[in-house]
Amino acid sequence: MGFHFCVILCIVSLMAKSSFNHVQIGGVVTCVPTLEKCIDDELELFGGNEKQIARLKKTIGLDRRRVVEPGTTAADLCETAARRLLAQTGLAPDAIDAVICVTQTPDYAQPCNAAVLHGRLDLPKSCAALDVNLGCSGYVYGLWLAHMMVSAGGCERVLLLAGDTISRIVNPKDRGVAPLFGDGGSATLVQRSERDCSAWFSLETDGKGFDKLIVPAGGQRSPSSAETLAEVADEGGNIRCQENLFMDGAEIFNFSIVEEPIAVRDLVEYAGLDLDAVDHFVFHQANRYILSNITKRLKIDSAKVPMQTVERYGNQSSASIPSAMCGELQEVLCGSDSKRLLLSGFGVGLSWASVILDIGELPVCEIVEHSGCN
Amino acid sequence: MSLEKFIEDFEEAVEDVEPGSLTATTKYLDLEAWDSLAVLTVIAMVDVEYDVRLKAETLKASDTLEALYAQISG
Repeated sequence: MGFHFCVILCIVSLMAKSSFNHVQIGGVVTCVPTLEKCIDDELELFGGNEKQIARLKKTIGLDRRRVVEPGTTAADLCETAARRLLAQTGLAPDAIDAVICVTQTPDYAQPCNAAVLHGRLDLPKSCAALDVNLGCSGYVYGLWLAHMMVSAGGCERVLLLAGDTISRIVNPKDRGVAPLFGDGGSATLVQRSERDCSAWFSLETDGKGFDKLIVPAGGQRSPSSAETLAEVADEGGNIRCQENLFMDGAEIFNFSIVEEPIAVRDLVEYAGLDLDAVDHFVFHQANRYILSNITKRLKIDSAKVPMQTVERYGNQSSASIPSAMCGELQEVLCGSDSKRLLLSGFGVGLSWASVILDIGELPVCEIVEHSGCN
Repeated sequence: MSLEKFIEDFEEAVEDVEPGSLTATTKYLDLEAWDSLAVLTVIAMVDVEYDVRLKAETLKASDTLEALYAQISG
């Protein structure tokens, strides 16, 4: 009895870590909307308090963000990114064996975005398609699934689409979230490789914190109604309805700076490496303050940590890691030398996931703008 | 680690507070400079300087800087 219990415990504790070989990233494209907003232009939102805007810019690093026009969705951004990725890698749609779409802002409650995009991209009927309902940790979760699908032998190439339009679900009168979030959609090719290319993953969750970052209503637990759409001011004067995104900023900040450094150290140890063996640490681009706090706690060289993406585009949810790869590491990742990257996302769930992988010689790693017509 | 040092750290963490203007009995929740950003910067300061994970609830529940320091050092 005792032995069995021990074995079960050991299995459970190991399950969310896994390693792979002979699976590689074959290209990344991130698509951003053209409409740019800047916190400097939102004096009204801050009640004319220029000082507060200056503090937010200086301390948190809030600046510009790209947001979609009404009518444009995460699926549109992902489609643009996917078309560019297929064109630049010279792949025909029927070369794709599976498509995974990571999003929390899908076009429809049903069917999933992956099925919709499967049709729009003319992918073959033999192609599997599924959505993953995750946010800021979702890109790494998607990579993990793609690695498993390729390793299991059923897929040669998986198209991972990850993106959100969080700007559409925040209340523009909520200072706690409105200036933070931008929109983006990404497409990543994950494929079998003959080369030696290791990848180590860790995936974690704390569902007890589910209500710290949440859209409380509009789902089956609390269906949309006049009540859930009624705007209410909180104690800080921020206005939102129950169908808007709510974030407990202090708790999310605490969660990020506590869990992320632990997760990174654990994964590096699991991979049998040390932090110096990692060339670049690409964290979810939450905001500069969180990124620099995590960097400090890990005592890693800030030159190895992309941090500019969030100031250019805003917090792009599941698209933020590919966006930082394309926007800040394009030259490195398209270069002839393979680099060892640690990617790590954290957020809604609460959920966090990290991967160490070798990546290089990408035929495409770029940011494109959404033209507005697919 | 002392209350005096903590008050100095607190003044530094919350912008727009004059150094030396706060005392052990200052009710920090009533400060004009106290807002959601100050909550983050104080949490980060306490984490770095005192190696304590301060919850936002503790910050809301404490009254004076002295009481907050007692939570951190206790």
